[in-house]
Amino acid sequence: MTTYHTVTAKLLFLVALLFAGGHAMALELDDAKARGLVGEQPDGYLGVVQDTAEVRTLVTDINAKRRAEYQRIATANNVGLADVEKLAGGKAIEKTAAGNYVRGADGAWRKK
Amino acid sequence: MPRCFAPIALGIALVASAGCTPTVKVTADEPITINLNVNIQHEIRIKVDKELDSILSENSGLF
Repeated sequence: MTTYHTVTAKLLFLVALLFAGGHAMALELDDAKARGLVGEQPDGYLGVVQDTAEVRTLVTDINAKRRAEYQRIATANNVGLADVEKLAGGKAIEKTAAGNYVRGADGAWRKK
Repeated sequence: MPRCFAPIALGIALVASAGCTPTVKVTADEPITINLNVNIQHEIRIKVDKELDSILSENSGLF
C-alpha cells in the first residue's frame, strides 16, 4: 500500500513539473530586444534579427497584438491602418534603446 | 641580442599585430531617418499620436 501511494505521488509531481515550467521558458520581449534577437521596423512591427523558432513565435505573437491595436486606433479615428502603422513605427524606432536593433528604410538592421 | 634577431622579431611583431586590429566605431555612419508620408488632419494626428503613445508605454507589453 505504501508503494502505490509513493508511485502516484511521484507521478503527480512529474506531471506538475511539466506544466509548471511552461511560461517561464517563453522568450520575453525585453529580453529578446536586449539580446539583439528582434528589432523595430518602420512599418510599426517587430522584426526578426536572429531567426529561430522561438523568436519567430514571439514576433508573430507581438505583431498580431500590435496589428489589432493599430486597427482599433485607425477605425476609432477614421484614418488608414497603414498611416497608423507608419506613425507607430516612427515612434517605436525613436523609443528604441541605444544598442538595440532597428531596421532602416533599406531593410538592413543597424544598432541604434 | 644578436643583430639578426632584430628583423625576425620585427617580422613576428608585424604578423602578430596584423591579426589584432579590433575596430571600434564610436560614431554612427549616418543618422537613422524615417520618412513619414502621412496625410492626416492635425487634430486627428494629435489624437492618434496620443493613443499610440499609450500603447508604446511600458504597460502594454507590446513594445
